[in-house]
Amino acid sequence: MANAVIMPKAGITVESCIIGNWEKKVGDEVKVGDILFTYETDKASFECESTAEGTLLEIFFDEGDEVPCLVNVCAVGNKGEDCSALRPSVDGAEEAPAPVEKAEPEAVAAAPAEAPAVQSTAAEGKKSPVSPRAKKLAERAGVDASLATPTGPNGRIIERDVRAIMENPPVAAEASAPVAAAAPAEEEYTDVKFSGIRKAISKSMHTSLSTMAQLTHNTSFDATTILEYRKALKAMGGDYAGITLGDIVLYAVSRTLKNHPDLNAHMLDDTSIRLFKHVNLGVAVDTPRGLMVPTIFRADEMSLLEISKAVKELAAQCREGNISPDKLSGGTFTVSNLGSLGVESFSPVINPPQTGILGVCKTIDRVRKAADGSIEIYPAMCLSLTYDHRAVDGSPASRFQKELGENLENFTVLLAK
Amino acid sequence: MPKSLFVDPAEVREAGKVVFKDIPVNQYNKTIKEELKSGKYKREDLIRIFRDMTVLREFETMLNLIKTQGSYNGIDHTYPGPAHLSTGQEAACVGQAYLLDENDFAFGSHRSHSEILAKALSTIEKMSDEQLMEVMENFLDGKCLRATEKLGECKDKKELAIRFILYGTLSEIFARETGFHMGMGGSMHAFFLPFGIYPNNAIVGGSGTISTGAALFKKINDKKGIVVCNVGDAAMARGPVWEALNFAAMDQYKTLWESHNDGMPILYNIFNNSYGMGDQTRGETMGQDRMSRIASGVSPTQFHAETVDGYNPLAVIDAMERKLELLRNGQGPVMLETVTYRYSGHSVSDQNAYRTKEEIDTWKEVDPLVTYPAKLVEAGVMTEDEVNAILKETSDRMTMICKAAADPEFSPYCDFNKDPAVVERLMYSNEKVEKFDDREPEYLVPKEEAEGYKKIKSKVRNSVDENGKPVSKMKMYNLRDALSEVIYDRFYEDPTMIAYGEDCRDWGGAFAVYRGMMDALPHSRIFNSPLAEGAIVGTAVGYALSGGRALVELMYADFIGCAGDEIFNQMSKWQAMSAGILKMPVVLRVSVGSKYGAQHSQDWTALCAHIPGLKVCFPATPWEAKGLMETALKGTDPVVFFESQRIYDIGEQFHEGGVPEERYEIEIGDVNKVRDGKDVTIITIGAALYRAVDAAKQLSEKYGMEADIINLHSLVPLDYTKIVESVRKTGKVVLVSDACARGSFLNDVSKNITELCFDDLDAPPVVVGARNWITPPFEFDEYFFPQASWIIDAINDKIVPLNGHVSENGCTEAEALRRAKQGV
Repeated sequence: MANAVIMPKAGITVESCIIGNWEKKVGDEVKVGDILFTYETDKASFECESTAEGTLLEIFFDEGDEVPCLVNVCAVGNKGEDCSALRPSVDGAEEAPAPVEKAEPEAVAAAPAEAPAVQSTAAEGKKSPVSPRAKKLAERAGVDASLATPTGPNGRIIERDVRAIMENPPVAAEASAPVAAAAPAEEEYTDVKFSGIRKAISKSMHTSLSTMAQLTHNTSFDATTILEYRKALKAMGGDYAGITLGDIVLYAVSRTLKNHPDLNAHMLDDTSIRLFKHVNLGVAVDTPRGLMVPTIFRADEMSLLEISKAVKELAAQCREGNISPDKLSGGTFTVSNLGSLGVESFSPVINPPQTGILGVCKTIDRVRKAADGSIEIYPAMCLSLTYDHRAVDGSPASRFQKELGENLENFTVLLAK
Repeated sequence: MPKSLFVDPAEVREAGKVVFKDIPVNQYNKTIKEELKSGKYKREDLIRIFRDMTVLREFETMLNLIKTQGSYNGIDHTYPGPAHLSTGQEAACVGQAYLLDENDFAFGSHRSHSEILAKALSTIEKMSDEQLMEVMENFLDGKCLRATEKLGECKDKKELAIRFILYGTLSEIFARETGFHMGMGGSMHAFFLPFGIYPNNAIVGGSGTISTGAALFKKINDKKGIVVCNVGDAAMARGPVWEALNFAAMDQYKTLWESHNDGMPILYNIFNNSYGMGDQTRGETMGQDRMSRIASGVSPTQFHAETVDGYNPLAVIDAMERKLELLRNGQGPVMLETVTYRYSGHSVSDQNAYRTKEEIDTWKEVDPLVTYPAKLVEAGVMTEDEVNAILKETSDRMTMICKAAADPEFSPYCDFNKDPAVVERLMYSNEKVEKFDDREPEYLVPKEEAEGYKKIKSKVRNSVDENGKPVSKMKMYNLRDALSEVIYDRFYEDPTMIAYGEDCRDWGGAFAVYRGMMDALPHSRIFNSPLAEGAIVGTAVGYALSGGRALVELMYADFIGCAGDEIFNQMSKWQAMSAGILKMPVVLRVSVGSKYGAQHSQDWTALCAHIPGLKVCFPATPWEAKGLMETALKGTDPVVFFESQRIYDIGEQFHEGGVPEERYEIEIGDVNKVRDGKDVTIITIGAALYRAVDAAKQLSEKYGMEADIINLHSLVPLDYTKIVESVRKTGKVVLVSDACARGSFLNDVSKNITELCFDDLDAPPVVVGARNWITPPFEFDEYFFPQASWIIDAINDKIVPLNGHVSENGCTEAEALRRAKQGV
């Protein structure tokens, strides 16, 4: 009997994964434990080992397809065996092409002489149930059944409702309808399918900017103390030598946030906010697959050295792509450091549903008037704070930034606290 | 109610007394020597009687050991099925069978291994070697004979036949493919028609009505032989057995029948072993004292009853001789109470909690297996050595048979894995038989001259004339005429076909389907039955499995309950339980009432459709009625034929050109599409069709919605092809019938549609049935039975809201939950 190999569930919160590369092809002999394919979650990549032995009979999804967890991905069994029963019926692949042509069903159901008097009873935002027939018709016609106005019993979208939007497509439907671009005679570009991570970033960033009221404040502080402190640590060698300026900023943020709960928070909806008792710091990490943001849980209870080690460990896991998806969520505030890349100031984008993100910039030399009236040069580090104006106003945000700067300027005092 | 019988008040009111004759009890008193001297028995006859008793005793001893110890003479076997033994009753069985041959039908009781084997041994003795070989060769293509031959060398054909009957019976009990019925009948349903051994019955007293039907078959069709109905004492408490006695005793055979007016050729034999399961029939659960008294309450002839000592085989033979003579002289029915005793429990789980060891031991002291051979030795008929030689021969034979029957290599089980359809193929015979006998059918008047038939033929076979005007009721060929026409036709083709039921003859049936037939056909073709539904259906089962065609009627469908066992266990199951050896050409007409309240208005199609083995149809138009009745009356399967009293008068409204003059058949299982529409499918059963037509008209006129209407004139079998086709088209389906909604057959159809067409459905299928109440008086019909408005409301509420429609009979989800919770 043929056996299916399923898409593993890579973490409690993971709903679906994207197939990376197929390591085996149909017809190959496979043993239990052989790598069949790689797959990616939102932010990590894994290898799927075969759970069955025999011939790879059929592959149900292609590279790049998104597959819900626990759904059959391929079938392994005896050569020539029928494995059609294992073929998943779920519409797992997002990329399943929508038919360009409208398939006209044989029968046209009744359209009452007049427009239906029944109005939509579905509450805003609540999904209306769709009858199997309406669903099938919508799929064949390539329209989005959920855009139909339900007129069936119990707010159900029925066949006639789908026919109504087929005849008079709603504006939104037009926008969402797939547009097949005509391919030019010569290929002057390459279309690259987004990886799972890229897709997640794309979705998250777009959601962030399109749903929040974001604005950014730029400030700077005198980095003399932390630079000296860093130098001292470096001289100590060992683990201490690995503590970076970024780690120091993370430590300061984890302490300063305790006085600014509105920035250590999640927006639940437009009307409420969840304030966290501990600081779970998201740290932006640049990886070959793209931006990843692992979380340092309870950073407010960790020492500077512990934070430093945690960041290194998480960053390494991200770069290797084997981080558990559960470590990639749960952050309450994020710090993104572009200072090493020479950025002097930027507008970081909030990682929803958090309410703030701190951008750490390059340290530059600035001049100021000294107490004796002379001009002195000092190292200034820029901080760019983006916050969600729905949750936090300009003044409190500025106060956080001010306090953070003071804490960094007096870092040794902060350490003593 | 025949007019020829005058009910004279002077006579019925006259003073007098009812006189009973004495009933002889255990009067036989001859010795072996006296019997030998009289020349009635030869020495070998007396020895063979002993031999037969040992075969019976050994068979059940073996079964008992296999059941209780899993081993017999070194053969280990586990048998999980029933073993209702009658050890101790062998002399009674051998005595009864001694004079019977293959033309005599013996129906078995609830514990009938010995009855079967005794009848077989007696028949084998009477048949020639050539006859025996022919029977065995022809039975199941010689499969059973081939197996028997493999058992080894045999001294003669009779010994081969004895092995054959033992092996066939035991492998049947052990559920083997080599059994007489492929193992499908088992212990409680082992029989062998070529030797005149007819079914025994797992239902106590089940043979009562069935054997009476077999006697009716012999009587009407002038068949050789008589019928023996074996029942136990406890079965005499069962209603259908009393119904059967009365059916056999009807005066009309003598007072009214033009021909075949002899008494019924049937012997009711009660094997009285004093116990039902554990109840003691004499002294505890019954009150006749002597069972032979029973017939005195049924007929002035008292069925010539007597009580005979079943512990003396010669006493039983003596009584049988006298009873057979009465039967052959047309003086039946007759009755015997054969006193006997069983040592074994009711079944192997019986701990004998209800009787003492002393009682059993006292009976064992007079055990015929001991006392009879002792008498033979005493009379010099045989020696002790000869007695022992017979016992050894019997034991050796039984050991050989048991070994073969228990061995799965030698006697394989049906392979359900290789052949999953093994039972499926046995459920229906699906044959067509024009006539079951070649003789000329009996009639009083030729069909073409029969007034009733001529009247039907003169009618307008459509509901509208050629100008589209409605035909007057009096001139219109209606559903009743459609049924009647076919029944006339078939009466004149199949000489074995008979019709009966309450008031079928003079009244023409309560709903006049048989009107006029009394003038055309003799009583032996169509007669009034007693008001006894169990007997009506049970005798039809017996008539049909004996080889004739029976058309019987229960008047109201509600009376199905009175014939529950006969319809649900007997009529339905014998074809498959006999592995197709028996056929069941019974058409049972039942009529769904109206206007008669709670016990006369129920549509019980679901009950019948639920039972495997029955075909169920319910025509609602004259075209359907004619075609289906034609098919049913040519078929070989049992059909429950529902009719509706609301529409006997209805003309043909759907079939183009009306109902054809010529004969035609409608396949049972097909459906009738009566209206074409694209928007919604309405599926109907019975008279609800006409309310659906009304609803469809309103849907079209008010809401611009066109309905497909499909009438299910057949429920079992049912071809879903056209239903699926329609639902795929419309995506919307309402199912309507007059049956109470809960458990209605339509729920089954609805479930299948949901599974077959799920992705095509725009809403769940909605069943509109009668409320789950008693049927209230006719004045409140519209509150109980589905109306056209209910159908429209169901569409509006549950499928597709109709513009401007306000439901009046709607049932919200909350209300549906409340009703279900209340059981209403």
